[in-house]
Amino acid sequence: MDFSYSPAEEAFRAQVRSWIKANLPEGWGSTVHEPEDEHARYMFRLDWEKKLFQGGWAGLAWPKKYGGRGATLVEQAILAEELARAEAPEGLNIIGRNLTAPTLIHHGTEEQRRRYLPKILSGEEVWCQGFSEPNAGSDLASIRTSAVRDGDHFVVNGQKTWTSFAQYSHWCFMLVRTDPEAPKHKGISFLLVDMSTPGITVRPLRQISGESEFNETFFDDARVPVENLVGGLNEGWKIAMTTLTYERGPEDALARQIRFKRDLMRLIVAAKTIPRGPKATAIDDPVLRQKLARSVIEVELMRLNCLRSFSKQLQGKPLGPESSFQKLYWSHMAQGIYETAMETLGPTAPLAAGDPLAPGDGLFQTGFLQSRAFTIYSGTSEIQRNIISERVLGMPR
Amino acid sequence: MNFDFSEEQFAFRDSVRQYLDDRWSVAQLRTHLTGDGFDRELWEGVSALGILAMMVPEEHGGLGLGYVDLALILEECGRHLVPGPAVDTIIATDIISRHGTPEQQAALLPAIAEGGLKIAAAVAEIEGGFRPEDTTTIARPSGNGWALSGRKILVPYAESVDQLLVVARFGDDGPLGLVLVDPDWAGITRRHHQLLDPASRAHEVTFSEVELGGDHVLGGQPLETAVARLVDAGAASASLQMTGAAGKVLDLAVEYTGNRVQFGKPIGSFQAIKHRCADMLVLLETSRTAAYHAAWALAHDPAARRKLVSMAKAYCGDAARSICNEGLQLHGGIGFTWELDIHFYLRRAKTLEYSYGDASAHRECVMAATLAEMEAA
Ligand SMILES: Cc1cc2nc3c(=O)[nH]c(=O)nc-3n(C[C@H](O)[C@H](O)[C@H](O)COP(=O)(O)OP(=O)(O)OC[C@H]3O[C@@H](n4cnc5c(N)ncnc54)[C@H](O)[C@@H]3O)c2cc1C
Repeated sequence: MDFSYSPAEEAFRAQVRSWIKANLPEGWGSTVHEPEDEHARYMFRLDWEKKLFQGGWAGLAWPKKYGGRGATLVEQAILAEELARAEAPEGLNIIGRNLTAPTLIHHGTEEQRRRYLPKILSGEEVWCQGFSEPNAGSDLASIRTSAVRDGDHFVVNGQKTWTSFAQYSHWCFMLVRTDPEAPKHKGISFLLVDMSTPGITVRPLRQISGESEFNETFFDDARVPVENLVGGLNEGWKIAMTTLTYERGPEDALARQIRFKRDLMRLIVAAKTIPRGPKATAIDDPVLRQKLARSVIEVELMRLNCLRSFSKQLQGKPLGPESSFQKLYWSHMAQGIYETAMETLGPTAPLAAGDPLAPGDGLFQTGFLQSRAFTIYSGTSEIQRNIISERVLGMPR
Repeated sequence: MNFDFSEEQFAFRDSVRQYLDDRWSVAQLRTHLTGDGFDRELWEGVSALGILAMMVPEEHGGLGLGYVDLALILEECGRHLVPGPAVDTIIATDIISRHGTPEQQAALLPAIAEGGLKIAAAVAEIEGGFRPEDTTTIARPSGNGWALSGRKILVPYAESVDQLLVVARFGDDGPLGLVLVDPDWAGITRRHHQLLDPASRAHEVTFSEVELGGDHVLGGQPLETAVARLVDAGAASASLQMTGAAGKVLDLAVEYTGNRVQFGKPIGSFQAIKHRCADMLVLLETSRTAAYHAAWALAHDPAARRKLVSMAKAYCGDAARSICNEGLQLHGGIGFTWELDIHFYLRRAKTLEYSYGDASAHRECVMAATLAEMEAA
């Protein structure tokens, strides 16, 4: 057990830190912020991602032949930590980097990897994930969107929903039904689809936070070349499981943890000034202190849980259904932080962004609303509990 | 960067588990519910495995290991409901190794390594809360040494141990420190407590004007750092043991619900039951994370040691509480019987939950430390 970094890793951290400082806009975080407008904000994020690529930081731990630098997972984690610490913008191509890439590295052909991975890194091609449908969410294997072979193409028909970033995406990886007669898990294939294909329509949906990150995506006779199939025909379910494991894994969680912790620290700073009667502030309230302390502990344990899981990966042990435990832990933990935030704000909790009296300009209210999605996306908590009980604890079906 | 144990550390854990599976089943524990509760053969077995020698430095005949090596062993002790004073002796050994005078070390450590000396700490008082700062037991100057007066409660195995490591205040407004006393000395009386956990023993110990020489003060002078380490070590050890007991309860619950049939199916196939077990696993794994990290903090003694230990004690206490309660619930009526073993884990975990500070006290500690860090930054 050793929580220290080697001199080489420390040097790497210093290098990352100075690059970030030199490349974020002057006054970042104090006078310069992300654009207010949602569209402009996403474009700003994409530009930042391209800058990271030009700086040589994209796909750090990926194999060199696909445009990566073959760095260690530890270096990758250091980069994620430093970016989060500097409050650097998130990227837009999160799905491409975190989901498409590892899925293709595991299951794609050499040609597919060479075709798609470099453009994910460069930010030239943004990706979205077409799994969920109106009638297939938790029961993902019941998807109906169909793909029928016609010469060198599949003809895709159906509807996906909750497709995050589809409106900005060049590509979508999706699950399609290729054998309607087979048992439901055995008739699914994994396709890569160019979003500019005629017959694809994207309609943004408004989320409870007011933003429109996710969409409905319609496919009407969209023709997809057969070489865009990943893995074998009707073998898509197994591939989707790999994708989901990465979606729930510790790398994703490590970067999130830093953002949760930052919000919690901001909350504690705010608690020192939010009045509770004429003489006291929120931080003097012993009940609230208990709740804040609970969050301080839990957010730190989120990082340590990730490091435990990460250490297993470093020893070459594959990421398995335990990633469900990480996701279940952090999603509820983070909801707890924003719930406590609302309690800390007390009477001003109902004031949202834009009101001059809203503490932190509505940061906590936005966080609270956004946190409601944590236990729904990447598989709901109920589904994670099914996975843990059946596949980790071995309980009967 | 590696948050895992080594092959050797796991292998040692496995050999300890195997020994305890054979030698300390709950059936065997049940034969010790009356009497002094001290099983000499178990003590000798634990000693033969090298557990008591772990924290003794090599120059005193020990293995020279630390809290990271000990972490899985203490978890195993919790899992098997190993009775004191083994764990109490291990905690005291670390304090003596770090803070004792050379003479104290030479007199005590080799005997501990050989399994010939049992020591327990006397910390808690009825007047005080959980904070050692509230200690009222007092050592006043007397002759060439000190006279010790006061009353301690919940002193583990005070009838069986050879030495007590007592937290006392030196002078009315003086510093805290530790004294080593033989519980058979004149002026010391012991009263056997009735306990929630019948497989443990603890005593109320009263000191009235107990005369001690200066050489009985650990380190030769009152050492607040030694007191601080003692309570942190106690809290971390309790965290590890609670995690062990909770892990066993989850295993029992999964096994029982996999076999018990109602409505024509194993009850473990009902989602209401599965989902609770999944939540218990999240609590258990995160307890491990917290408790192992606290062990690391004791081994490496970073500036944030107290905060890291408090994080573990608070989290593991809450987690063990809910795992033990849920585990019992999932057994239905049989879970409420004396015959079923589960209540012994519940009792042990509950006892540990309140030793060396409960979750609320430790959360307050974390909050204070966090605010102090923010001030300093
Ligand atoms: C912000 C956001 C972004 C998303 N982005 C994407 C994306 O980019 N791509 C994509 O494909 N999907 C995306 N999703 C969809 C997400 O994966 C689904 O919403 C999720 O899997 C749940 O499916 P559902 O919405 O159909 O709910 P349902 O499956 O209908 O579930 C409704 C409720 O029933 C419970 N339930 C269902 N089945 C069971 C069961 N067997 N046992 C117990 N309880 C059960 C659920 O837990 C839930 O509480 C996103 C969702 C959100 C909120």
